[in-house]
Amino acid sequence: MPNPLSNFTSLKEKELLELDRTCGWSLNALELAEVQRQFRKMGRQPSRGELETIAQTWSEHCKHKTFSGPVSFKSGGKVKKYKNLFKETIVKATKTLNKKWCLSVFTDNAGIVEFGKSGKWGLAFKAETHNHPCAVEPYGGAETGVGGVIRDILGVGLGAKPVLNTDNFCFGYLDSKKKLPKNSHSPERIMRGVVEGVRDYGNRIGIPTASGGLYFDDGYLLNPLVYVGCAGLIPVDKIEKKVIAGDLIVSIGGRTGRDGIHGATFSSANIDEETSASAVQIGHAVNEKKTLDVLMRARDLNLYNAVTDCGAGGFSSAIGELGSETGARVRLEDAQLKDTRIEPWEIWVSESQERMILSVPKGKLKKLEAILKAESCDYCVLGTFPGDGRLLVTHGEEKVVDLPMAFLHGGVPNFEKKASRRKVKIHDGAPLPPAKTCGGILKEMLAHPNVCSRHSVITQYDHEVQGGTVIKPLQGKYGDGPGDATVIWPQAATLDLNDFSGFAVTHGFNPAAGKIDPYQMALHTVDEAVRNLLCVGAEISRTAILDNFCAASPRDPEVMGDLVLAAEGCHDAAMAYGAPFISGKDSFYNQAKDADGKEYPIPMSLLISATAPVEDIRKAITMNFKEAGNPLYLAGISRRGLGGSVYGDMMVAGNNYIAPLDMKAAVAMYTALLKTIKSGCVAAAHDVSQGGLAVTLAEMAFSGGFGAEIDLSAAAREKGLSALELLFGESPSRLVLEVVKGKEAEFLKLVKGQPVSEIGYVYEEPVLELRDGGERLFKEDLAALKTCWKRDLI
Amino acid sequence: MIIEIWTKEKYARNEEDAFIARLAHAGLKAKGARLSRLYRVDADFSRETFSKIASELLTDNITEHCSLTPGKAGLKKAYRVEVWLKDSVTDVVGESVKEAVADVAGKMPAAVRFGRAYYVACDSETKLRSAVSKTLVNEVVNKFKIEKC
Repeated sequence: MPNPLSNFTSLKEKELLELDRTCGWSLNALELAEVQRQFRKMGRQPSRGELETIAQTWSEHCKHKTFSGPVSFKSGGKVKKYKNLFKETIVKATKTLNKKWCLSVFTDNAGIVEFGKSGKWGLAFKAETHNHPCAVEPYGGAETGVGGVIRDILGVGLGAKPVLNTDNFCFGYLDSKKKLPKNSHSPERIMRGVVEGVRDYGNRIGIPTASGGLYFDDGYLLNPLVYVGCAGLIPVDKIEKKVIAGDLIVSIGGRTGRDGIHGATFSSANIDEETSASAVQIGHAVNEKKTLDVLMRARDLNLYNAVTDCGAGGFSSAIGELGSETGARVRLEDAQLKDTRIEPWEIWVSESQERMILSVPKGKLKKLEAILKAESCDYCVLGTFPGDGRLLVTHGEEKVVDLPMAFLHGGVPNFEKKASRRKVKIHDGAPLPPAKTCGGILKEMLAHPNVCSRHSVITQYDHEVQGGTVIKPLQGKYGDGPGDATVIWPQAATLDLNDFSGFAVTHGFNPAAGKIDPYQMALHTVDEAVRNLLCVGAEISRTAILDNFCAASPRDPEVMGDLVLAAEGCHDAAMAYGAPFISGKDSFYNQAKDADGKEYPIPMSLLISATAPVEDIRKAITMNFKEAGNPLYLAGISRRGLGGSVYGDMMVAGNNYIAPLDMKAAVAMYTALLKTIKSGCVAAAHDVSQGGLAVTLAEMAFSGGFGAEIDLSAAAREKGLSALELLFGESPSRLVLEVVKGKEAEFLKLVKGQPVSEIGYVYEEPVLELRDGGERLFKEDLAALKTCWKRDLI
Repeated sequence: MIIEIWTKEKYARNEEDAFIARLAHAGLKAKGARLSRLYRVDADFSRETFSKIASELLTDNITEHCSLTPGKAGLKKAYRVEVWLKDSVTDVVGESVKEAVADVAGKMPAAVRFGRAYYVACDSETKLRSAVSKTLVNEVVNKFKIEKC
């Protein structure tokens, strides 16, 4: 059979697509035609290395063609056109808000905001997904996901020191009875592997894994979502990086091998012994720790001008990115290899883990080498950044790639995606009467996988390493209460024990609402994240957020419609809350077939990760009841609707309406509440989210070891609200506050004009009793409630 | 040389109960189980050196004991399941142990690979194979064999 690359420029469309499929490039017909056109113009045939480089550089993973491309959105009779959906929604909000405390946004491996009182530090924050690798090999996929996002933090500016890892997972229900295809794993198996992978990498490298979430839905049965994030501290004078023509290209960290070829594009359907080796890797946290230590020392000695991580595309992407202006001259025969049985183009695109690329002035190489040797860290000098704007990659006499950077980074064609609004029938009548008592429903709800305790996952992680986890993921009298946000005091990075500045990190996530109304989902998700920050006393006017979208196939106009609506929601929420997006990522094609051929697309899944400064970490608060006799207040208006709620998942609710969020009112109320927290009036705060008000009160009670007697008759509510909606509805912008006895007057003065109502007292007796005026809703023993809630998930 | 490390029986109950529960979740009722760790050390060391590596480096002598002749669990009607990472997959534990072995033996071994052995007392090898595939191994990265003890 003739080599198709020898007559690439004359191949027909069908032959091009066949070649693409065989090589696993994932380029479409339009892109293949453009590559063909360019090589016709150059008057020669491409090499395998060049096509691999183009495929990597133009991949969805690297270029985000869907989100950054043109979209035509049809809703009702109207059509709205976007030239670049991402820029016209997410980036637009950040640009319009133009916050001075945002030091670097959307230009580097992570976003950076100001941190602390000294003005010397920036906080870098980034979240990533590693979904498909985790579906195939959960442990290795999760490990390499964590390793990858830590390298994003190491590769931002001239390198930040990681101080916190985050983890958010979505799995199918663990007791799902659905028949799975031959090559897939059960959700229980995936969850166990993912948790162990995140645990082993984070614990071994010495970064606390201290903020995250778990979510179950059968939409994730074949496509688990694994969001991993990292935050780090960077000196503000180390944020700028620039490759200088003449600098050396130095690779440090892991060696290059055949593991990790086409990591982003492989398919689980045709995995065999050979392809598996290249599709799945196991992370090596100790190697990454050595790389981290070298970088921090070399950064502070100014031994390099720029750095980036080797992620998707390996050297091809990292060196291509650093040399996008200067060009790059690479000699692959100098690469440190794991395996000598490797083709030159494979060295160039291998995604082997734990590697970073540095741009090093020639005169500083010796000093850098001394540090690398002292830390036993592998390294190699791969070439130079010449300044001619050309990418020339050779292996001995063989020319692997010879392309102009301008074509590589600017040549990708993009085409308009069709989007349309999904039709969902809304039932907004009164909820159907339940077959159980409210107390019975509460017990069942506390045991629901989306509500119950996460201790069996959280306790596997080292969330104390570095000694800065002030507000922990598990809180309360018994150290097992579900915290709203984590507060970190990064003294291990700043080395300043006199500055008590910290930062809070949390998340918002509600795909159940997205199935009904993606726009409201985005608003509710941002609102939940901001509210969680408020619950620990963080400065919410300085909230910075990350967007991580995961969706099914963008070829489906309704999936694109969900994306458009969620992106518009993100824009509007960011503007209303004054919370700019500083970084983000998207992942598409999360869709697979089960054993019966049924498609399992994931629901539109938007994770909002949020951070805000905590002025004085000593004043941060937790969610558990603190003292008998303290009065309790409900802030926010309880609104109608059970759409997207846990109740709706458990019962036939007969109502799927989602209450629209009044963001202006929410911001005004949160601002007032923050003043009460800062003034020391509030002993505990907890948001009303999954499970509704009854779950919030139960969690506060059994985490503190105190009961409560509650009468909701004074609680602000929408007209016609049923008892079910009041107890189990998940309408946004609500939180419960325990106020310090004796400070009620000060508290009420600060929240004057806001919908904040007194609902009862903390009681010594371990019983939770709720009334609504004359109607007793339930009276339950705390120990019984906690027993239902404290399930071992794994 | 394959070195096998066992948790002493009086300390192994929790580990074994959890393992039997995992098998039950995967559809196999096991009557008993023993677990061990395996280290394959590729080197031309003397048996005495391997013994030193096993007892001084790899074993916690209070809670564990070691053996240079793998495969004896003391269970009746049992199968032995041996699980390794494929050679093409990075073995992080093996790599770390390799460095430590060099310190003890004074010479770097060619390779060290880490694995596990599971001894399961049950009636059906077919059911055991199915449970192993469901819960113990991922054939994308693992190789395994089942044999009668």
